[in-house]
Amino acid sequence: MSNNIKCSHCHLEFSEDVMIEDGSYYFCCNGCKGVFHLLSDEGLESFYDKTENVKLSPQIAQYEDSSNFNSSAFYDKFVKTNSDGFSEVSLIIEGIHCSACIWLNEKALDKMEGVVEANINFTNNKANIVWADSNVKLSKIIDMIRAIGYNAYPYDASLQEVHANKERKDYYLKMAVAIFASMNIMWIAVAQYAGFFSGMDQGVKTILNIAEGVLATPVLFYSGWVFFRGSYFGLKNKVVNMDLLVATGASLTYVYSIFITISENGEAYFDSVSMIITFVLIGKFLEVISKKNAADTLDIIGKHLPTEVNVIEGGKTVSLKLEDVSIGDIIVVCSGEKVLFDGLILKGEGYFDESSLTGESKPIYKKSYDNVISGTISIDADIYFEATRDFEHSTLSNLVSLLETAINKKPHIEKLANKLSEHFSTVILFLSIVTFFIWWLWPHSFEESLMVAISVIVIACPCALGLATPVATLVGLNLGAKKGILFKEAAQLETMAKIDVLLVDKTGTLTVGKPEVIKEKIFGEFDINKLYSLVKSSKHPISIGITTYLEESCENLNEIIFDEFSQVSGRGIVAICKEEEVIGGNIQLMLENGVECKYISNHSLFYIAINKKLVAVYELSDSIKDGAKELVSSLRKIDIETVMLTGDHEQSAKNVANKIGIENIHYELSPEDKLNIVEKYQKDGKIIVMVGDGINDILALGRSDIGIVMGSGSDIAVDVSDVVLLNNSLHSLLAAFKISDTTFKLIKQNFGISLIYNAITIPLAMGGYVIPLIAALSMSFSSLLVVGNSMRIKYKVNRK
Amino acid sequence: MDNWVIVMMLSGSLFLGAIALIAFMWGVKNGQFDDQEKYLNATKFDNIEDLQAAIEKEKKLEELKKESYRPE
Repeated sequence: MSNNIKCSHCHLEFSEDVMIEDGSYYFCCNGCKGVFHLLSDEGLESFYDKTENVKLSPQIAQYEDSSNFNSSAFYDKFVKTNSDGFSEVSLIIEGIHCSACIWLNEKALDKMEGVVEANINFTNNKANIVWADSNVKLSKIIDMIRAIGYNAYPYDASLQEVHANKERKDYYLKMAVAIFASMNIMWIAVAQYAGFFSGMDQGVKTILNIAEGVLATPVLFYSGWVFFRGSYFGLKNKVVNMDLLVATGASLTYVYSIFITISENGEAYFDSVSMIITFVLIGKFLEVISKKNAADTLDIIGKHLPTEVNVIEGGKTVSLKLEDVSIGDIIVVCSGEKVLFDGLILKGEGYFDESSLTGESKPIYKKSYDNVISGTISIDADIYFEATRDFEHSTLSNLVSLLETAINKKPHIEKLANKLSEHFSTVILFLSIVTFFIWWLWPHSFEESLMVAISVIVIACPCALGLATPVATLVGLNLGAKKGILFKEAAQLETMAKIDVLLVDKTGTLTVGKPEVIKEKIFGEFDINKLYSLVKSSKHPISIGITTYLEESCENLNEIIFDEFSQVSGRGIVAICKEEEVIGGNIQLMLENGVECKYISNHSLFYIAINKKLVAVYELSDSIKDGAKELVSSLRKIDIETVMLTGDHEQSAKNVANKIGIENIHYELSPEDKLNIVEKYQKDGKIIVMVGDGINDILALGRSDIGIVMGSGSDIAVDVSDVVLLNNSLHSLLAAFKISDTTFKLIKQNFGISLIYNAITIPLAMGGYVIPLIAALSMSFSSLLVVGNSMRIKYKVNRK
Repeated sequence: MDNWVIVMMLSGSLFLGAIALIAFMWGVKNGQFDDQEKYLNATKFDNIEDLQAAIEKEKKLEELKKESYRPE
């Protein structure tokens, strides 16, 4: 051990005799040596100063030809041209583990001729690279990243994400200005209010007014720009929205205050201008950060599927891109791999997991001349199959295109806040105009009537209304996150509270999705280690179920090495150990080997026989998740109907439904059937929440008002869903309903509070009784009341 | 006379505050808050080499801009 030597590049230690010696350096492989020399040539040796204590992964991977990065199709999709005429691409860099890696990548790329900028984010390993395409091609850049021991692949940073980040940053800046100015205006206002009661020189008053005016200007025109823009778009669509109320209120007050400052007579309201804008802007910002970056559906398929398959061509295995495979090509699939094409098996046999497509919980046995479906996973089969459809027309691609339409058709429920604010804004604007004319016609001066009319708008200004929804939903979201419920968008809390029907998938959602041992029957003495070693060597779900059971129930398990061992596809396993024949499998295997068995049950059975004598039987069944029954009964109490949708057979569907207490079940459904059921309910005006986990649920998940997915579900399902239950538990599903229900109730309460507040203050303002101090104080007070009320969500949910 | 004291103090403090605000906004726009790790690490690995590299990078950008400029 003492003569182990560190590789000069990756710092992994190996024995001296296997190292490649090169001068005073040692390398574990040629890959590391190559990278090391490349870095020395480029003058980037200081990389090693930064990585003294870091172990890198050795450079072993071989990469495909990078020239396809230069194809025009690739450029069309991923490469943008920026305003200076340079090309720009977003890449994800693989293999980054420390800040030195970032440094190395950036430096190496910077040194390349033609590269203008390389910027890598440490947190998410995303790189933004800008280069002059006339000097260097993208493939060269990718080659460089690969040459120094990393890999890069492009991601479509299209619109969504970039746009969302930009919007967020924009809000940060606007809020920074608004909060800074408001805070300063506040302390100036303290002096003003003190002066209002104890008397103040007109000269000092003017100075304070001017200072406030200077501070309020950027708030109104920079931070408040969103409201002007919002009201413009609102008016264009003939809608009076909250933005219009905020914009008119703030700008009228602003103009009026300038007039007061110049005429040196009366009270200026600059503090109201900045406070209104700041409060409502914070509300808007909270909405922006809790909005979901809608999944880029086009990307979904690319993200979760391998891009290549192994195809036999002229006796050799070659990797082909999915698009290049044509009908009639012979494709190789090994155990554990995903089948990406529909086809006919030519050679090989074994079990396939179709549960993600059909919901069928038991693996399906397939042999030569059986059809395989794209999207299924080979459990233990190594097969050659002939593609009968190209990728574009495969079952899997069909699903994805159906999914896109399903998501686009997703209904959008109108939010309470939007409905309310439209009427509210119209009423307030109308009231203030009426007030103005009444005061003016009742002989008052023009200025005085205008001031009263403005004070109506100012006091009604919806600070509390603007904060009512975002604060409450944010508290709800945080509470959910603590309980392992991930709402992707705040508005979903409100939608979920209005649910009529809950649709649930069976396998993986109501049930665990894996067979578990429910009964063990031992007929004779035998060495448990033999059974353990036997089942451990198979990947079949039943074997895995028994392995888990044995590991939980027995101690000191040892694996025995068998003298002979073979898997009988579709039957079980046969092994020989010290002249003892151990057979484990289903009834067919037993009968074929002349073992007598009489034990029969509805569930899946695993027999084990030693020397042709049955010694034990294990009964396995997919068990129901904890809390399923409780979920159904508590939902029934609040008048929510639960319906089970499954692709599984009638018998197993009914078994589960009876145990849980679901009356309404649909079975043997294809993914499209599930979608149709969702659509049927929606046509009746019902609001649908769908819970599922697999690819067979994605269409229904995408189309339903709220799609909830188990965290263990397939990646695609997680992507299209609105809510993710991270701990897969049905208890948290129930908690999600409770949280959304409570949040929605408190949102309604918040609206109530701000409406009552307005009902009291608006008549006062119309009567001309509102002095600036009261206006400012009551505005803050109502906002605080709403925020405080929202905090009660946590308490209420926990008490339920 | 009194009024001038108020004006001076107000404008002085607002000016200082504004500088801090502008510095913060510059930082946000510059992406300094996007990636905490990287900017903190940059201070750890601060050296002359990097400064030199930054200058060279700017030079290169200028050259490339000139090159890619083609009057239409």
